[in-house]
Order: sequence, then structure tokens, then C-alpha cells
Amino acid sequence: MAGDGSGASPAQPIRSRRVRTRYPARYSAASLLWRGKRPWPRIWDSGDLGSSYDAVVIGGGVHGLATAYYLASNWGITNVAVVDKGYLGGGGSGRNTAIVRSNYLTPDGVAFYDRSVQLYERLAVDLNLNVMFARRGHLTLAHSDGALRTMRWRAEVNKHQGVDSDVIGPAEIKRLVPALDTSDAPRYPILGALHHPPGGIIRHDAVVWGYARAAAALGVEMHQNTEVLDIDVAGGGGPEGKGPGGRVTGVRTNRGDISAPVVVNCTAGWASLVAAMAGVRLPISTHPLQAAVTEPVKMFLPAVVVSGSLHVYVSQTDRGELVFGAAVDPLATYDTGGSLAFAEELAGHVLQLMPGLERMRLLRQWSGLCDMTPDYSPIIGPTPVAGFHCDVGWGTYGFKAAPVAGEQLAACIAGGQVPELIEPFTLSRFAEGRLVGEKGAAAVGH
Amino acid sequence: MSPTRLPARPGEVIDRDRPLDFTWNGRQVSGFAGDTIVSALAAGGCRVFSRSMKYHRPRGILTADFWDPNTLVQVGDEPNVRGGHRLLEAGMQVTAQNAWPSLRFDAKALTALGGRALSAGFYYKTFMRPRRLWPLYEKVLARFAPGGVIDPDSAPRRHEKRYAHPDVVVAGGGPAGLAAATAAARAGARVLLVEHEHAPGGHLRWGTKRERALGAAVADAARTVGVEILTDATLVGRWEDNWLAIVERDGAGGPERLVKARAKVLVAAPGLIERPYVFAGNDRPGVMLSQGARRLLNLWSVRPGDRAVVWSANTAGDAAAADLEVAGVAVEHVDARAGHTVVAAEGRRGRLERVVLSDGTRLEADLLVTAAGWTAPTSLLNMAGVRPVYDAAAARFFPAPPGAPEAGTVLSTGGVSGDGSLDELVGHGEATGRLAAARAATLAHRLQGATAWAAPASGAEPPFPTDERTPLGRDPHPELYRSSTDGIVDLSEDVSSRDLRHGAAEGFDSVELVKRWTTATMGSAQGKLETVNTVAVLAEATASTVAEVGTTTWRPPYAPVTLGALAGRMFEPVRVSVLHDLHVAAGMTPIGAGQWIRPEHYGDPQAEVRNVRANVGIIDVSPLGKLDIRGPDATELLSLLYVNKWRRLAVGSVRYGVMCAEDGVILDDGVTGRLGEDHYLMSTTSSGAGTMEVWIQNWLQTEHPDWRVRVTPVTDAFTSVNVAGPRSRTLLERLVDGVDLDPEAFKYMQVRLGAVAGVAGCVMWRIGFTGELSYELHVPAGYGPHVWQALLDAGADLGVAPFGLEAQRIMRLEKGHFIVGQDTDALTKAPTAGLKSLIKLDKEDFTGLPELRWALEGEPGAGGPEALPRLVAVQPTDPSYVPPEACQIVATGPDGKEQIVGRITSSRFSPTLERSICLAQVEATHASPETALTVVGTDGRRHRAVAMPHHAHFDPAGERLRG
Amino acid sequence: MLLVPCPNCGPRNSADLTLVGESEPRPDPAATTPVEWRSYLYEEDNPAGWTRETWYCRLGCGRFFVTERHRAENRFRNPPLGPSGEPPGRT
Repeated sequence: MAGDGSGASPAQPIRSRRVRTRYPARYSAASLLWRGKRPWPRIWDSGDLGSSYDAVVIGGGVHGLATAYYLASNWGITNVAVVDKGYLGGGGSGRNTAIVRSNYLTPDGVAFYDRSVQLYERLAVDLNLNVMFARRGHLTLAHSDGALRTMRWRAEVNKHQGVDSDVIGPAEIKRLVPALDTSDAPRYPILGALHHPPGGIIRHDAVVWGYARAAAALGVEMHQNTEVLDIDVAGGGGPEGKGPGGRVTGVRTNRGDISAPVVVNCTAGWASLVAAMAGVRLPISTHPLQAAVTEPVKMFLPAVVVSGSLHVYVSQTDRGELVFGAAVDPLATYDTGGSLAFAEELAGHVLQLMPGLERMRLLRQWSGLCDMTPDYSPIIGPTPVAGFHCDVGWGTYGFKAAPVAGEQLAACIAGGQVPELIEPFTLSRFAEGRLVGEKGAAAVGH
Repeated sequence: MSPTRLPARPGEVIDRDRPLDFTWNGRQVSGFAGDTIVSALAAGGCRVFSRSMKYHRPRGILTADFWDPNTLVQVGDEPNVRGGHRLLEAGMQVTAQNAWPSLRFDAKALTALGGRALSAGFYYKTFMRPRRLWPLYEKVLARFAPGGVIDPDSAPRRHEKRYAHPDVVVAGGGPAGLAAATAAARAGARVLLVEHEHAPGGHLRWGTKRERALGAAVADAARTVGVEILTDATLVGRWEDNWLAIVERDGAGGPERLVKARAKVLVAAPGLIERPYVFAGNDRPGVMLSQGARRLLNLWSVRPGDRAVVWSANTAGDAAAADLEVAGVAVEHVDARAGHTVVAAEGRRGRLERVVLSDGTRLEADLLVTAAGWTAPTSLLNMAGVRPVYDAAAARFFPAPPGAPEAGTVLSTGGVSGDGSLDELVGHGEATGRLAAARAATLAHRLQGATAWAAPASGAEPPFPTDERTPLGRDPHPELYRSSTDGIVDLSEDVSSRDLRHGAAEGFDSVELVKRWTTATMGSAQGKLETVNTVAVLAEATASTVAEVGTTTWRPPYAPVTLGALAGRMFEPVRVSVLHDLHVAAGMTPIGAGQWIRPEHYGDPQAEVRNVRANVGIIDVSPLGKLDIRGPDATELLSLLYVNKWRRLAVGSVRYGVMCAEDGVILDDGVTGRLGEDHYLMSTTSSGAGTMEVWIQNWLQTEHPDWRVRVTPVTDAFTSVNVAGPRSRTLLERLVDGVDLDPEAFKYMQVRLGAVAGVAGCVMWRIGFTGELSYELHVPAGYGPHVWQALLDAGADLGVAPFGLEAQRIMRLEKGHFIVGQDTDALTKAPTAGLKSLIKLDKEDFTGLPELRWALEGEPGAGGPEALPRLVAVQPTDPSYVPPEACQIVATGPDGKEQIVGRITSSRFSPTLERSICLAQVEATHASPETALTVVGTDGRRHRAVAMPHHAHFDPAGERLRG
Repeated sequence: MLLVPCPNCGPRNSADLTLVGESEPRPDPAATTPVEWRSYLYEEDNPAGWTRETWYCRLGCGRFFVTERHRAENRFRNPPLGPSGEPPGRT
């Protein structure tokens, strides 16, 4: 069985064992025509909740599903349950703005996200479901000397890591995105940009469904409307035997108790609450991240455009809608009601970048909950409770990391050791005072 | 096209004396003032207004109002205009959207294909291979994107916002809403009523003669008692504590205006939205809702058809049949309450020809009017936390279970809360208005005493009034959602009931999942017409009930809002020093530095450096943060804030200090001078001025509220000028009174108070950021221009000239002074910046002490200072090569691979040394003097460089500034 | 936008204030350990319920004050306390 990945006493590591996924019905153009008006088989099936699994993944978002999928496909660990208190992909996975990129600041961050982009590029084929990854190119605008310096810093680190990024000037920006006002008329003129051609957008729901369908085909169980109420831990130093030094033994849900030697916390904005059930305190604060979409218009915005100084990022979907996001709300809260101030500031900032869009109409706004860490980097891997793993702290950039996080965490759980790619991002870095310096690239870096 | 305008009718809203010409797809057409785009076009015989998104089926009028999914049009450079709502104007250029290739061409092949392969979510199932072709597929898919065309170069218009201050806001100007507003105003409340349509009255406006008269009367009553009525306006969102957003449209397409209000009580009276029925052909032009038909007839005198089938389940449908008959339309009335159902609307070329009923009857018709029931638009109530409850007997959702009283500050009335006669609706509205006003009065009483300075309201707080209204009844209504055939559920998104059923069978069996899979409810009306039918079809597919499936979350805004209205005018402050005009006159090149606009240089920064090094220069450093600190505990405060010591700083001296956050990371730096025993003037970086003031207040108020010390920001109170260069003393001797400038009397790192150019009360610091003999003058701000000009005049023979930020940056780099935030970053702890000797670990406390102790002395199991990077001066071997800032420094690691070991944080060409100079952060292993370094240029080329022994490239001993 | 009860200014739009964070006592810098200090620096309770937190009345009176807020429902309770937890004075 899987090791606990705590590193303290690595169990016999499991050798990687690739498993071929057998779908009830493969997707293709031919099968679409052949099947015609007849319905397709279920994309995943949920039977009764079992009483024991080799691993329980809490959170049926893209991180939880990816972890379950790679446990099954890369390591042959298929006796896995993914439990979610709502429906699959109902949290941040279905609320994010679906931007994929790897132009981070630290070498550790770049290597990590670059692996994610690689996995995304072949995900449609791997999962036999079109996730519609559109490499639009990604522009991070700089409106000050300092911002331009940070862009160059990112570009230079990216280049060193073999990632395609460069700093470009206003003329080239105008050529790539004619709708941008690159004159010196705006209050904060565009001085340059970090151009990252591999960046792009993807259909976020499709990624969720693709992982769920593939994991289900490998034997992983999906249990929706299954809320974890408590986590059983034995031998820990805290109350009820929880906390550091303990070992996880299972979870209690609204649909029954489950015993499991491995429990994975993939609950994003709710990560602190789930970790607290195991007696683990996290350096996380929950903040809403708002997003909005306009009515559709014909294609005019070919690239993803981000401005850190103006707290805005924007892209145009295949459906013609503009999708906007901003920085997280400064107010820590679990309330997802959103705010008017967000829409007002967002519109103001978008119009500073593209004044001609004032007649476009905002159609809908929404919020998701983000698990913000002090250094804008995730917390992934083992915790002081053996068998209890975290894949949290993703803040506003979790979606783009899901494939690599799932792949590496699965390796960590199955292999019993923390893989090199996620080593910089373990929970222990906070107690050891070795934070990751990603704030400059991640704060509004979508 | 055959004209369908009827002769003048009572109650019509058009002005037949004011014809208006406009164009439709380039063709000249006309209508009347008061027409909407759609009513004018319909009057001219137009039946097809758009083509559907996926299958490009022709689409006609459905609701003839704002929410009509089929009549979005392009007007000039404005996309997605609601043709059923926007009033006609002369000269409008209206074109159809989604008309590819044209409105008339019937893309039959596509439709037929759609029947097979274009099922919901088909794109997820194909185009995966070959991977390199996906961008091509994507372009094809994007052609199907709906919507109009935006012109990114269109000229921006000015948008204003408004704050309103009502006690009670009523959303919806139907009979109940008007009655509520009137009653609340009569009870003494300030009331704002928001009406979505162009006039108040709600459905009474297109009703019978008696209904129209009553509608006019209740609207008049509201106006008479002082209710402010906004028409063509929508309450688009409600957030915590009744924070409301209202968008006021200009009926003529002018700029929208955002109105914001903090209402004490909100009354939601949005009425009801008629629900389409799902059956084969339900999207065919000629199939219309009863409200659409009645609006066309009674508001704009347009006959919607010649031969109609009216399929009705309620009195609204019956009224439509009656109205049509009066207008001379042949009507076949089919009663849904008797069990008759429509199964298909047939025809060809975008025309309805016949209606097929469930008993097989075929009725010839060019108009099918359906009245299948209502959707309660509970959005505003949902935003206030109310979860709608389904009532199967009434076939719609309600805000609350029957008879439940409403708590809190959000109330509802009118159709959204129940049914009743007009008198009952008005009566319920009046009771709601009285309750709203009473609750608002209680809240006003409570607010009166909420501030520390205002006297509490007199008398005890009145109790919060309970809801004792007689609830409205609920009329029984058959549950009519889908016929025995499949039809379109979401007309904007071209989602059929079959798509939904298949989606559910495929596993997308909750309303949120199936919505995401099919995109149902994601279109222009955001579910107002589609959600309940989606829920009902899903309930049917999963063998559950509408109540079990439940509804989706309604999200703001209730109606779309232009970005211009949301943005309003831009309020981004620009800060300039009082010397700004002088800099402009001197020909400065400006540079933005945060909010400040500063002189980057006056033509030639290199020459400015040479002049300072040889003669004397003056620079405006007014943005420098300045804090006046007074009180017996002022020294304690400084000891807490800075890493270094302050107790023994003599009066008349200044000291450089560094502040760290609690994690040991450098926050800010600057010099602070002791002006008196209990009086200091602190300077911070320009960019840190605001945050440092808050940082200091936080420590004072939360950790040391007992300390007797006052901190006052005085950045704007002084004009700050640095006079630098070997001749600076000579220059100042000509202007300064009351201060002995002799080098023995006024030494380096001392402060004096005196007069400059006749201006008393100036603070003079002898410090040297540029590395030259220099004096920083802090002059009462209003006298800044006088002193600046006096310096230039008095020093003309000394070669005095202003210098800008760039020259200062070059000189500070020559001297190796770091800039917080440029040479340091969010992880740079104080020891990195070479501040080891500054940090006094023997102090009792200062911010960041524990982290700095561990960083310097090492902590168990972790590295000491060797683990931290170091800031070092670096010089490229090639003196002409200036590596751009942020270039990386690499070295070959133990594994033989090239690793990043640092980066250039600052770089310039030094005119003094005539070579390139840098500061860099490098790992400690590469920081020793003379270490050979490899700098990677932005083009990837490697450049050799060397680490220097001192931060200062120039005059490391500091002889010049002490002179 | 919720209203935040400043003890001095009364209820104000939350955009006028800054949420400083959870109120947590600062360990004695002379005696603290890395684990305790970094827990103070980084860890949060982050409950979906009531929590004591510090606010700064940025655009109002400039006061720091402590109050209790329900982080799931965004409601406040108790009169807000002064910066060190004492009842508000009147000035």
C-alpha cells in the first residue's frame, strides 16, 4: 500500500505503473456522427459510499480529481474515493478564469508551472476529452519602471529555465493587441510587457470532467454531496489524539464513516477548516476572488492581457465573451456574495487599458474562495499528521497548476518521498522560515 | 414585409406626429417617436430579427421587451442593444447580429447536421487530434460566437455616478411597487422607486382601459407625495447592509449612469416574467408570449399576426386573445386548463404556418401566443440570502413558504410574493410600504447614536416592527414546462430539451452541472426566461421534482451594465511638488514615481552628475516621506521601529536607520534627526511614506497605547531640496541665516534649524545620498519656489543647476546606496544588505528582532547568515557593457548544470568612473570580493563581471561628503 | 459592501477601512522560539465563524480597533473594542 509520504519512515515505495484507461465510450468525431441523437454513457458513476479506501481525496475540484487520476493511472492505486460536499468542479475549478501560463519569478516556480503547461498541452489526448487549450499568448503589462524591472526579472529566469518569455515594448504590444491604448495619454501609460507566447486559456469545466471521467474509468469513485464532518487521527499530541505526531485513520462524512490510511486535503478556500479537523493549523487566510464576464462580441482580443498595477486580467473566450478577473478581495471572508466595488474598479481599470470598450456590458459576476498564503505559493505534500496530505494554499493560481500538483502529489503519496518539484512548497517551510518569493509574479499574475 | 400598424388606438405610446427614419441592415425604414426598434420594425412587417447561435435558425419576436433573446441588434458602434427595449431615434443605423451569412439565407445543411453531431458539448468530444490542428478548429468555433461588433477605437464618453440617500428603495414600478413607495413616503420616508421600463405602471400599461387608468393614478399618487421615480433604470444588485446599485439608462442610447445607495429598507417588487413553453418549433418566428403580443398591440398598435392560436393557461393569455380579437385578428383560443397542449409549431422559411395540438388537431396560423405561466425573478431577494421555495400548486417559485413573515430589511410585494386582484396587490403594496418606513425609522434612531461624537437619539429605540401584513394568496396554475416534443429551452444559447435530457443521462444530473455542460441560462437574459424550464426538464429527466432539483444561484447584475457606467470618471490622483511649474519651465522630462510626477532629468542626466561632482546641483526631493515625532516616549518609539540604537543620539544630530518587518525583511530606510529632547523629524522613502505612517500608528495604538508620543505626517508641509556638490557650502553661506556652516560647527550627519533666503523655520540636514558634501533643506512648503529660485540665482557663478531623479540614481549607485524595493525584495532580510553592524541584537525589542537574531546567530537546524544572499557591488569586465537591471547571474553547479546564483538589481553607466557599475544580489558563496561572475544578457550572451570589495564604487572612504 | 462599526466614526463602508487581520498576542521577542514566532507570523485560525480581528479606520479617524466578525456571514457583534481590547472611550 501507499506510503504516508511523511518522509519520517518511508514505506516501501511503489514503482510507477502506468495503467491504460478504458473508457465506456471513447470520444471522437466519428463516434459523434455514429452515435447521432442517441445519448452517451455516463461520464462517471457514483455508487454507494464504501467503508474503506486506500486513499480518500477531500475536494472534487480539479486538484482532487487530478490527484486521484494520477494515483490510479501512474501508480495503480485505484481504490480511491473523491468526496465533495457539493458537485464536482463547483468551487474554484468552475469559477476561475482558466488561464494557463508558466512565466513565474522563482526558478522553483517556473520549473513547477512549466511541467503543468506541458501536461496541459497533451491533456486533451491523455484524457480523450477536448479541454480546448488555446495558446493565445499572455501579456503582463508594466506601467512603471519597477514593474518593468520585475517583468525583465521574470523573463530572464524564464529564459534560463527554457520557458518562452520576453519583455516587449509598446509598439510590439500594439501590434499584438491593437485594442490596447499604448499612448502616453493614460494616467499610468503602458511602458512594456512580459510576453509569454505559451500562455493561454482553457475550458475549465472540461478539465474537471476530463479528469473525473478518466479517473472513474480507472476505478476511482466520485461521491458528490458527501461532506467531510471530521477526520480521525490517532496518536497525535493535540486534543482527541489529533495534531502533530498523529496518524490519520479515516474520515467521517454525512453519508457514513470511511477508514483510510491516506487522506488528501484539496479543499482550497476551505483548507483551514479541513486541516483543523486533523489538528493541523495552516498559514492560510480565505479571501474571495471575483471574476466577471461581459456579453459576447465578435473576436477582437487575441491575447490574454494582465496588468498587475491595475489589478486586472482579461481574455476573450471562444464564445466572444470577455472574462475579467482582479486581485483577491482584501476582506478575508467565506462569503461569496461579491461586491459592487469590484465591478466598478474592474471596469475602470479595463477602460484605462482599452477605452473603446465602454459600451460593452457586464453580464455576470461571481466569486470563488481562495486560500491565500503569506508567500503566494502553495502548500503541497505531507503534514505533521502522518498520512494526511495537503494540496492547498493555491490562492488565485491553482487551476493552472492542477496537473502537475496532482501528478507530483500522487508520486509523493505512492512513493513515500517528496518529489523535487514540490520540495520547495511543503508546509514545513513556514516553521523553517524559508518562504518562496513568488509574490511579485503571482499577486495579480493571471 | 407587409405593414401591420393599426390605426391610432387609445393608450398607445407612440407619437404619430413624429415619424423617425432609420436604417435596418442598410435599408431605409421608419417608425414613430415612442417606438422601440423592434416595434418599429414589426410595424413595417419584419418578422425575423436574428439567427440562432448554433443552428442559425431564424428568430422573431418572443417578448417584445428588454429580455427578448431574439432581438439583440447592433446600433452603430454599439453591440447587443436590446431592440425590444431601446427607443427609436432618427438616423439610427440598426443591423442584425448573428446573421451570418445573412438573415434570409436558411443554413439548412448546418441545421440538419446540427441535429446529428452538434449536440450540447459536442466540442468536448472531438477536435482532439491532431493536436496541431486545434488552433484551426478553434477559429472555426469562434465564428459561431454570438454578439455584435465592438470598435475598440470608438471615442470614450464621460460617465458620471451618483450617490442617492433614500430611506426606502422600491425595485419595480408596477401597482404594488408604486403603492409601497407612496405609502412609505406618506409615512415620512425618503423613497426612491426604480422602474425598468420607460414609464411606471408595470403590466397595467398594456392592460385594459381600466387597468391603464389605475396605473396612471397610482403613478401620479407616488409623484405627488415626493417619491423619486427613476424610469428606464434597473436595480442591478444588492449587497451587504442594503448597498444597492442602480443603472439608469438614457433611453436614447446615451451614457448610462450608475446610482449607488445605502437603503435602510429595500422593497423588491419586480413583478413576474412570463415563461416560454418548450415544444417542437417553439423558436419559430410567429411563436410569441402573451405579454409580447399584448405589448405590441396595446403599446405600439402593431398587429402581431393575422391568424392566431392563443394557447392559454391563465387570465393573461385570455386577455391576449381578447385583445387580438379586438384588433381584428382571427383567434383560435386553446385552453391549457382543459388539458389541451401544443406539440408543434410548423412552417417553413422562418414562417409559422400551422400549430399541432396534442389531440392531433392542426390549426392554420401565422401567430401562436402561449401563456404557460410565470417565473418569479427573485434575484434581488437571493442576493439578500433568501432562498426561493417552489410551490407546485402555483407552478412557480416564491421567496418564502406560504404565509411566512419577512424579517430584516428586505421586503417583497407584488407578483413575486403572490397573486391577487388589483386591489389586493395595491393593498399589500401599501402595507409593505408602511412596514418599510417603520423599520427604516427604527434603524435611523439606532444610527443616530452610533458615532462617538453625536448625541444619541432622544427616547428609547422603537422596537423593530414585525411583519403583520396579510399575505397575498396564490392562484392555482398548471405546471406547464415541456410538451411531449422537444424544443428549445434556451433561445440565446440554442439549447434544447433533448440536450438537457441527454446531458442528465450522461451524468450531468444536477442543475449546476447540466447548466455548465449545455450552457443553458448563460445567455443574454441570464436565465430569466430559461432557468425554470431547465430545472423542470432536468427534474423530468432525473425522475425528480422541480422542488428537489431546485434553482441555480442568481448572480448580479440583474440587467447588464456598460463598463462605462461602472467605471464612471477616473479618479487617480496625480501628486506634484510645489516646484512642479518651475521644473516644467526648466524643461524637465517627467517620470511617474507612484502617484508623483517628478523630473527625471532636465536634458542630460550624465551632465547633471558631472556638475554635482564638480560644482553644485539642487534636486527637488519633496516626495520624501516626513514624519514629525514628539513626546517623552519618542526615543522609545524610534528604538522599536529601527534595527539600530537611538537613545544616545544627541540633539542636533541625524542618523541613518533601517526598519524591518517582523519577519526581518527590510521595510524602509531613511535618516531621522533629533531636533529637540523629545522632538524628531523622521524621513522615509518616497514610496513608503504612506505605509510607514500606518505601520507606526499600528505599533503605537495596538502594542504601546500607553506611550506618550504623537506622530504627524508632514511630507506635504515641507518643500525638500537637496543641495549637493563641493560648492554647496559656498552657495548656502550666501543664503543661510542663524546657522554656522563651518565644517567644525555643522558636521556631517548633523541637523540645524535656521533661515534660508529669508525663510525662517527651515530644517537643514547635512547628509550625503549622492556622496558629495550636501545639505538637505526642508522649507515650509509655500516658500519652496522662492528658496529654489534663490538657490539658482545666488549660485549662478558657482555653476548651480537643477538635477533630476536619474542623476541622483546614478550618484547613489556610484556610492553603493541601495534602494528599498529595487535592490531589496519581499524576502530580503537586513543582513543581506550589509547591515550586520547596524543591527543591535542587544536591544530589548525592535520589530523583527527574533528573525534577525536567528539570521545573524543561526538557529538550530537552519543556516545562519551564510544562508542569506548578499548585496554586492559588481563591475562588468567590459566597462562599456551595462547589463539591464534584473539580468541573472549564473554559475555552474555541482551537477555541472548552470544555475542562477543572483541577479543585477541596479545598473548604470557612471560618468564619474566612465564605466558600467552595478549592485547585485548574489548567493553568499559568490559574494566575496574579486569573485568572478557570469552575467547573462537579455540576448542570452554571457558577460564576465567581478564582485567588488565595497558597495561604493566611488569614494568608498566617504572623504568627499565629510569635507 | 458591508458596514464596519468603527467605535469612533460609527458604521462606515468597508472600503474606508482596512482589515489588519486576526488579533493575536505578540510573543515575547526575547524568549520566543522559531516555531512559536513563525506561528505568530504566518498561521491563521481562519474560521468560517466568529473571530477577533483588528481593523484600521483608514479613511476615517485613523484608529486601530478590535472587533468580532462572523467570517461566513459578515456580521459584527459586541461593541468594537479599542486597540488593546478595552471598551471604546468617547473623544
